Amino acid sequence: MRGERADRLYRAGVGLLAGAVPVALGAIAVFVLVDALPALRYMGLGFWTGTQWNLGNQYGGTTASQNGVVAAAGATFGILPYILGTLLTSAVALAVALPLGVGAALFLSEYAPPRLRLWLSSLVELLAGVPSVVYGLWGLAVVVPAVAGGIGPWLSAALGFIPFLRGPVGTGLGLLSAGLVLAVMVLPLIAATARDAMQQTPRALREGAVALGLTRWEAIAGVVLPTARPAIFGAAILALGRALGETMAVLMVSGGSINLLPTNLYGPVNTLAAVIASQLDAAFTDATHMALHALAGIALTLFVISLVVNGTARLIVRREGAA
Amino acid sequence: MSTMWTSAQLEAQERPAGGDAAKMAVRGLSVFFGGQRALEAIDLELPERQVTALIGPSGCGKTTLLRSLNRMTELVPHSRHEGDVLLDGRSIYGPGVDVVDLRRRVGMVFQRPNPFPMSILDNVTFGPRRHGVRNRRLLQEIAEESLRAAALWDEVKDKLHHSGMSLSGGQQQRLCIARALAVQPEVLLMDEPTSALDPISTGKIEDLIRQLAEDYTLVLVTHSLPQAGRVADRVAFLLQGSLVEVGAAQEIFTRPRDRRTEDYLTGRLG
Amino acid sequence: MSAADWEATAYLRRRHGQVLAEASRRSRAARQVRGRVFGALAALGMAASLFPLLDIVELVAVHGARALSAAVFTQVTNGVSGGLQNAILGTVFLVALGLAVAAPIGVGAGVYVAEWSDARTAAALNYLTDVLVGVPSIVVGYFGFIVFVGDFGWGFSWLAGSLALAVIMLPYIVRATELALSKVPLDLREGSLALGVTRARTVHAVSLPFALPGILTGVLLAMGIGIGETAPLLYTASWSNYNPSLALTHSPVGYLTYVVWTFIQEPFSTAHSLAYAAALLLMAGVLAINLVARQWLGRRGEHAA
Repeated sequence: MRGERADRLYRAGVGLLAGAVPVALGAIAVFVLVDALPALRYMGLGFWTGTQWNLGNQYGGTTASQNGVVAAAGATFGILPYILGTLLTSAVALAVALPLGVGAALFLSEYAPPRLRLWLSSLVELLAGVPSVVYGLWGLAVVVPAVAGGIGPWLSAALGFIPFLRGPVGTGLGLLSAGLVLAVMVLPLIAATARDAMQQTPRALREGAVALGLTRWEAIAGVVLPTARPAIFGAAILALGRALGETMAVLMVSGGSINLLPTNLYGPVNTLAAVIASQLDAAFTDATHMALHALAGIALTLFVISLVVNGTARLIVRREGAA
Repeated sequence: MSTMWTSAQLEAQERPAGGDAAKMAVRGLSVFFGGQRALEAIDLELPERQVTALIGPSGCGKTTLLRSLNRMTELVPHSRHEGDVLLDGRSIYGPGVDVVDLRRRVGMVFQRPNPFPMSILDNVTFGPRRHGVRNRRLLQEIAEESLRAAALWDEVKDKLHHSGMSLSGGQQQRLCIARALAVQPEVLLMDEPTSALDPISTGKIEDLIRQLAEDYTLVLVTHSLPQAGRVADRVAFLLQGSLVEVGAAQEIFTRPRDRRTEDYLTGRLG
Repeated sequence: MSAADWEATAYLRRRHGQVLAEASRRSRAARQVRGRVFGALAALGMAASLFPLLDIVELVAVHGARALSAAVFTQVTNGVSGGLQNAILGTVFLVALGLAVAAPIGVGAGVYVAEWSDARTAAALNYLTDVLVGVPSIVVGYFGFIVFVGDFGWGFSWLAGSLALAVIMLPYIVRATELALSKVPLDLREGSLALGVTRARTVHAVSLPFALPGILTGVLLAMGIGIGETAPLLYTASWSNYNPSLALTHSPVGYLTYVVWTFIQEPFSTAHSLAYAAALLLMAGVLAINLVARQWLGRRGEHAA
């Protein structure tokens, strides 16, 4: 009898702890939403479609009221440039990381000898553990100069007939650098997930293909890649989710533009995550607190995007490794 | 690579493919996996347009022998061989032999049906397309003729675009046969092709094997003695990696020369 | 199959045999080239994935080693010079308290998901856990700022920073625990239950010890992630030039990642030195933890499973 009661108590205890995850998610949603409401009411839909981010007159003590909410005179909070910057940096990252990651996965799964495979796999997984500020540091020290002095001018010269790829390249701080650093950050995720999926191709299918007289590559293209395709697709979305939400590395190499829509691949951009991190100090100066509410609005937007993207990805890829 | 060359092998290599010559010949073949010897000095002739059945208890090496006929044994890491295998009198292990072409000429059907996860039509045209056939009408023709040859055409002609996985087990196996036939092989290796099938499907496949023997040279690994009796022209009995005896099916089943063969046939072995 | 079918196709088969052999011969060279090209592309992808890691390690090791000195460990930061003692201690404080909160909750939650919840609840909790992993850390940071710093009135503080880190680390621990427990062989568990031992006792005496390497791996990986985080701390722990005190609230805390981010953007070489030194310490810490988790515990965990 005593054992049973202890059993029930134990069960209730761990059951309560299991509530922590849904509670954390719910609390993030509710508190960020509530904190964002004044800014959303002040700006309406213009919050997402506006292109100007302006704290308004901070010195005159004048305030303006709009939709029943008070903000500094002239204040306007439009985050469209940051939404676009977020999508663009992530798109560049995926465009670079997806082919490279799938290539690395192919090499690990199909070409590397078993001993080498283990070593290389561990190295790739270590890449996932590097702190994002260190990626940012590397981005500043290596990627940005490379973009400014090599990759950028070269791309601009070779593919300059496409307007978006035409220079000026500028300092290197901008969209391409941010995209490249993000690509390196999501590479291990794509490579590891794709490799696992490729290795799950049934041996019978591989042998069936080889027995038809196909070359190794034909067997891979015909049987291995189709088998791994859903997982690769899921990994790409998962990588997208990570790239969309990355803060520090992007913050350090994106050039941190404000109120500027990107006009080419090299110019400065800003992303939702980076704006939150970089604008809080300034937002504190807003006596009406509206700037803080607007930052909460950005956090809310980012939260919703990440929920949609990750929620979708997780429906496709169940249980990838803890990395 | 082959390390043992006998004068017989050298002669055989020079001999042009003749009507009465064996389609394939195994000469002193030993196969090793790691340090383990799986086959020991096998000598065996596979006559053209005949069904040769390889029988013996599990682990006797019959599947290894079958797979060494199109060099599928090489897919196993740390495998090596001694001796040689000839196709139309030419070594399949010799320098300059294109293993891709070898496997096209010596097709294979597996123990469990392994259709690719794509449509029935794509399964059949998969091989020909990779081998460079681009013409759509030709592909269509090859698909139809292969499916007819595999006795599957009438059952699938109205659903060629359905997934190959949607077929029954027996149909899947015939699809795999059609897929193998589509690359126009000369020899067809079958590794216990009915072991995963029900009796009715098994019967259909056995009829098909007899039919295919009119055009192809077949090698069949089977654990079913009645099956070997029903479909094989010749039977080879293997035990512990060695070939014990080989002869006309009739002979082996009625008057085995070796005591061990008799023991196996009467159920005292394996 | 009819004999007529066979006869009807025999001629075609012979013709197609020649056509196919011919096509195969003609396309052979191109096919081999294509195979080599794609093989080379795969190798290129591998190289491109490895190069950054090696380059990052090299960059940080070279610059960081030059910047390391006794002062880094014995002095606190002073403007853009001095040492990193405050940041090192701060990182330790923040991660330690964060883990102290996240580990028990995470392991408990994992135990519930693996041992008690029905399949649908387990699937739902797993899904939410995966989704929480995907919430951007800056969002968690802003949430911490609103709730811990603002609503609870703790100000920039150790507790606020650690709780934000705990939210980041929690899902990794839940998932690792659940995964490790799901690998406990059924007969082991049933053997204990069949003896009349209660479920709770079975979990404690049989399942948890078996799953321990896997759980510890998860906790270590979470710790590595916590050490490397910046965004959740910016507006919860903020930054301090002084060593952390034991005050839980109303006292900001410094940490290593902050140094890397801000000091590299300062135009002073002393600042750059400190940034690289901090990066080296972070890399060394995180890589060591990852290596231990993946190699030692990871292998033991696999072995046990």
